Amino acid sequence: MATNLRVVGALGMRSIRQTFRRPQLIAPIIVFPTLLLAIQTGGAGGAVNLPGFPPVQSFLQFMLAGAMMQSLMLAGNSGGIAMAVDLEMGFTDRLFAAPISRFTIVLGRLAGTAALGLFAALWFLMIGLVFGATIEGGVPGALLAIGLVTACAMAVGGIGAAIALRTGSASVVQGLFPLVLVVLFLSSAFFPVELMIEPAKTIAEYNPFSLVVEGVREPIVSGIDASDTRDAVLAIAGIVVFGLVLSARALKHRLRVG
Amino acid sequence: MEAAATLPAWRVNLATIGALMARSRNELLRVPGAAIPGVLAPTIFFLGLNGVFGALTQLRGFDTGAYESFIVPVSMLQGAGFTGAAAGVNLARDIEAGWLDRLLVSPAPRWVLLAGTVLSASTRALIPATFVLAIALLLGAGWPGVDGLLVTYLMVAAMAAVAACWGSMLALRFKSQSAAPLMQAGMMALILTTTAYAPLALMQGWLQDIARVNPVTEVVEAARQGFVGGVTWADTWPGIVALAGLLVLLGALALREMRRTGT
Amino acid sequence: MTAAIAVEGLERAFDDVLAVQGVDLEVGEGEIYGFLGPNGAGKTTTVRMLTTLLLPTGGRATVAGHDVVAEARRVRASIGVALQEAALDPLMTGRELIRLQATLQGIPGAEGRRRADDLLERVDLVAAADRRVGAYSGGMKRRLDLAAALVHEPRVLFLDEPTTGLDPVSRKSIWEEVRTLNDEGTTVFLTTQYLEEADQLADNVGIIDSGRIVAEGTPAALKAELGHPHIRLQLEEGSVAQAEEICARIGPLLPPIDGKTVLVEVENGAGDIPRVVRALDDAGIGVASLELVHPSLDDVFVAKTGYHLEKEDEEGSEDEGAVAA
Repeated sequence: MATNLRVVGALGMRSIRQTFRRPQLIAPIIVFPTLLLAIQTGGAGGAVNLPGFPPVQSFLQFMLAGAMMQSLMLAGNSGGIAMAVDLEMGFTDRLFAAPISRFTIVLGRLAGTAALGLFAALWFLMIGLVFGATIEGGVPGALLAIGLVTACAMAVGGIGAAIALRTGSASVVQGLFPLVLVVLFLSSAFFPVELMIEPAKTIAEYNPFSLVVEGVREPIVSGIDASDTRDAVLAIAGIVVFGLVLSARALKHRLRVG
Repeated sequence: MEAAATLPAWRVNLATIGALMARSRNELLRVPGAAIPGVLAPTIFFLGLNGVFGALTQLRGFDTGAYESFIVPVSMLQGAGFTGAAAGVNLARDIEAGWLDRLLVSPAPRWVLLAGTVLSASTRALIPATFVLAIALLLGAGWPGVDGLLVTYLMVAAMAAVAACWGSMLALRFKSQSAAPLMQAGMMALILTTTAYAPLALMQGWLQDIARVNPVTEVVEAARQGFVGGVTWADTWPGIVALAGLLVLLGALALREMRRTGT
Repeated sequence: MTAAIAVEGLERAFDDVLAVQGVDLEVGEGEIYGFLGPNGAGKTTTVRMLTTLLLPTGGRATVAGHDVVAEARRVRASIGVALQEAALDPLMTGRELIRLQATLQGIPGAEGRRRADDLLERVDLVAAADRRVGAYSGGMKRRLDLAAALVHEPRVLFLDEPTTGLDPVSRKSIWEEVRTLNDEGTTVFLTTQYLEEADQLADNVGIIDSGRIVAEGTPAALKAELGHPHIRLQLEEGSVAQAEEICARIGPLLPPIDGKTVLVEVENGAGDIPRVVRALDDAGIGVASLELVHPSLDDVFVAKTGYHLEKEDEEGSEDEGAVAA
């Protein structure tokens, strides 16, 4: 057990170092969502005047959660790509041959994704504050948002890792990037679900990521809400389980196929 | 034994541009699925934006009740931006592989080499544009009329050329595909910091100021005409001037980078 | 007769590093010039300057009578180039590539197509002409690259390491082609890390190391400069010291390679072998093997730079020109 923890720690440090050593790889994960945030806030900001729009201080305040979601999903995708590159390079084979639990390999990779998620959450909270948005939930609210974002980043990272393990190809994982956009659009990341147009509206209502978004958004726009938080945690747990199951099966496949 | 130039220069240049464009086409025709990303990105954005922000048309100030009509020209232009930037990425890949050396060592003038890349992008952008348009029409966007359609396609082709100049400039400057996000982000920022999502009056804060001065706003407005109303020359010429200006500026910068390669 | 290539004090600096430091050379019309040196010596940089891909930061050069800076376009019209990373598009077919090259050189249309067909036959790629280049072997790619470089019948041909990484058969076929081209009057400037290649093909050889030409001349002249061949003896039994003492009376000793070998320079070449053998025999020293070694370009290289260009036992193999410092 102690060995496994040490291994996770070591692999985790490696994945964090890898991530932050190449700024040109982080940039898209932070820059694109920031750009989009600026554009959508300025362009669609009039939405706050729509009848039925939830009470918020500003559209920016509303959108922060969506921007964080976008970042964390891109981070998960990028973690998957990194894992696929490791597989292609043969680094993972070395890990498989070592006397460590297979799962620590995946967990170690997820540490890097979690760190990125954390960074993204802090970044957008800071942007929000700089441009005049208030975090209604105060410090506890901010911490809750950060926690949920980091956890969800890991959850999404698990799915990314599973796909990497299954396909072994970095370009396949990279090609799934449009899927990230689709999932985001079909959620409450960018707009209140009630005001969305069908069929996007119904899909968003059932999308587990919408629950996570609401869980991150509530502390920012009004304050910590127990049921929203619970729903978000359950959704993340569901995604984690989904990712774990996929990963386990992918690992088995990878070890069989070699 | 030097090969005498028996053909006039303009014919040779034209043939060279054609040959380079033919080579570009190979990627679409010979690599299965190569056209998909270029078509997928703007389509997803179109469907997503429509589903997400569609309710904005309820606000006073929108000329149309159908958000599809309002944003389809934006998505078509986004497709153009994406295609042009991708041409820049391809050039970067060619530079990394050493292919550009083959072109640079030949007596072909540098502008001819650039024109091959730019015109390829211009024509290729018509594919995602048409795809997005078809989907929009199916979803209920208004038919823009033949004049509106022609203006929109002209804007799309020229925008792709602008994006290709931008992408090529970066490719020649950095000589690496890692400049790709900059190529894509630059065009995305240019096209979306306009009246892309909403009319100028409904925009907020500093973005409204940017949209006011951004020349691409004129391009968006020109491309949008047929979809939200009638086509007039008064609404068209600013878009043409904006694109011409951007083409001259970015084209000159790209050509300068091409000439400076090897210094 | 103007030189096909004339270079004077050519220099290229990258930030603070001088990759090429004042190269002077001249290549006559119809000559094959071999530019020999290890990786990083400045060969490719020099070729890129001569083919107008890189601007010199000092000095001058003319190719086919045109200045590489002031008349770059004229230079490009007169030269054929086959560079190290065979710049080929894997999605094109061989035929399409040569046709494209023809168009680039100002020969589009029917004439370009005809030349493409002729060249494909010349380099024996007719069968593969309509297959994608991505499926070609290394040797096929080089042949295609060479054919493309010839489409406009250039006066000067630049070949940058044309046979690096190729198997011996492919290498020989490229050599054949170069000789044929030269017989037809094309001047060839070829860079290489392979001594045998320079020795076999070049009329004149320039040895470059760390950005400078350290020796120049015909292969024979360069080798002769070094003087005489030497005998390499491997002893079976007996003392090396004693053997050395005996051999020293016949000719000067060369620095030993290992503890069991004796190297002695012999003025009369093979004629001195019986003397050496008899002298050692009389002293009761047994010889396991004896070899008469003529000076090679590697010896020239070692004499000028202090290190070997190639490891002796790995000449012409995958390990391209490993430098034993």
